[in-house]
Amino acid sequence: MNPKPKGNRFGFKDLGIGIGLRTAHYAHILAKAPKIDWFEILSENYLDTGGRPAYVLDQVAERYPVALHGVSMSIGSTDPLNCEHLKKLKSLADRTKAHWVSDHLCWTGVLGRNTHDLLPMPYTEEALTHTVKRVKQVSEILERPLVLENPSSYVEFAHSTMPEWTFLARLAEEANCGLLLDVNNVFVSSFNHRFDPIEYIDGIPADRVVQYHLAGHTNKGTHIIDTHSDHAVDEVWKLYAHSVKRTGRVATLYEWDEDVPAFDVVLKEARKADKFRRALPA
Amino acid sequence: MKLGVLQKWMQAVVVHPGTTNQALRSPAASRLLNASDLQSVLLPSPSLSPAERIVVYQEMYPLRMYDALAVDYPGIEHFLGDRFQEFVSAYTAAHPSRGYTLNRLGDHVPAFLKHQRRFSPRPFLVDLARLELSLTEAFDECQGSPFSAADFEAIPPGRIAKTRLLTVPSLRLLALDWNAGEYLDSVRDENHRHPKIAKDRSFILVFRRNYSVFRLRLSPSAFDVLEDIVAGQPLGRVVDRSLARRGSKRASPDDFTRWFRQWTAEGVFAGVKTA
Repeated sequence: MNPKPKGNRFGFKDLGIGIGLRTAHYAHILAKAPKIDWFEILSENYLDTGGRPAYVLDQVAERYPVALHGVSMSIGSTDPLNCEHLKKLKSLADRTKAHWVSDHLCWTGVLGRNTHDLLPMPYTEEALTHTVKRVKQVSEILERPLVLENPSSYVEFAHSTMPEWTFLARLAEEANCGLLLDVNNVFVSSFNHRFDPIEYIDGIPADRVVQYHLAGHTNKGTHIIDTHSDHAVDEVWKLYAHSVKRTGRVATLYEWDEDVPAFDVVLKEARKADKFRRALPA
Repeated sequence: MKLGVLQKWMQAVVVHPGTTNQALRSPAASRLLNASDLQSVLLPSPSLSPAERIVVYQEMYPLRMYDALAVDYPGIEHFLGDRFQEFVSAYTAAHPSRGYTLNRLGDHVPAFLKHQRRFSPRPFLVDLARLELSLTEAFDECQGSPFSAADFEAIPPGRIAKTRLLTVPSLRLLALDWNAGEYLDSVRDENHRHPKIAKDRSFILVFRRNYSVFRLRLSPSAFDVLEDIVAGQPLGRVVDRSLARRGSKRASPDDFTRWFRQWTAEGVFAGVKTA
């Protein structure tokens, strides 16, 4: 375990504690201008609209720091990269002065189709070489380093030759990208695939982590689904506490997408992270 | 298994509308992996078999498609009720998402309904889908610059006949044959007092102002005038054509003053193009 981050985060700042910008909170944010460190924007929701979502986004981006978070880059797909999507993404990032652009280590479809699910990769040398090449291409098009999030997953491939954390660590080094460490996803996948979540976190290069995600999930007994509903369970907070000791203070964001409660409820949940961040040496 | 093959196989299973067994044995999946070899690709967990694990993805796919279409087509969802899922399956099989956003998934719904026989009354559903699609399109369109009555009055009188009016990008005009608008109103009304589905020729203007989408019913003559304006006809020709029409399609000179005042106030116009 490396307790001290090397500081190689492309100069990305610790933005503090934020939440995801959601439609249900638009009116509250515009009317009350609540005190919050930053917002994460779901990129695809704003790429093709000139209506109210675009208006709200511009207002938010003017008042708060923002980062873009996508679900459709399909970085691991064997289909060609969607250049139209990437150009629009760059334009949105420029317009909103986004601090960084993130997406998921996954694929969402092939043969020109999009399932709009974050489908898991096999962790093989072939998949690593393929993904490294594409991350480099995307970073070039976006003219900024890409940040990739560890997914939650429900299947494991028999021919994987390395654990997910090793794949991510090698990907980050070889493609020179940042990592968005979703602690809830680590917990969900560790339950579904029965690995040690601490071993996972300790296997992630701390100096590459530029952002955290926290969220709630749904435990089905036989498996856990990453639903972004509800409060984060204690085990997830414990993992976060363990991880921030390695990375230091890094931008932290709470995601709540199902049965979204009032803004203040989400913010209160997000601010639980404060306790662990404050406990770190200055 | 090579990455490309694995992804094609997994997608074939995930998007299959049947049971997991049917999905694994479907031609699209089984030509890439024999169903009996599933364990060679997916590991079991202590509590789930490989087939039970992939069910998680297979079950989420139709729910995601359902949610996306229900957001854009609440009227169709309400009308079809329990059959909406069947509609979603049939529609997404014919028009799977090929874009990076689900916001455009429903773009082909009116055309799809027009060419199928499973859901009826077909012409009513087509009109309802056209209306709902126009509302979604208006919601997402670019914001037009406002054009005021003062801007309109600033046009020199001698140039008015050759002036072309530009409408806001969100503007949509629909001629409907069925009472889809009335039905949609009843869906939004919490009591759901639905009208009897019936033929009802109506002319609808959809547009967005201050980031809210509005829907107005127009007279046949007003509809034709706006259609000519959207088509880029100069105002002199718009007026001449309208005065030359017969019956309910013919406007009176007073109508023009009233309409242009109202439409300008509503924010329907975005500018002028003078000759």
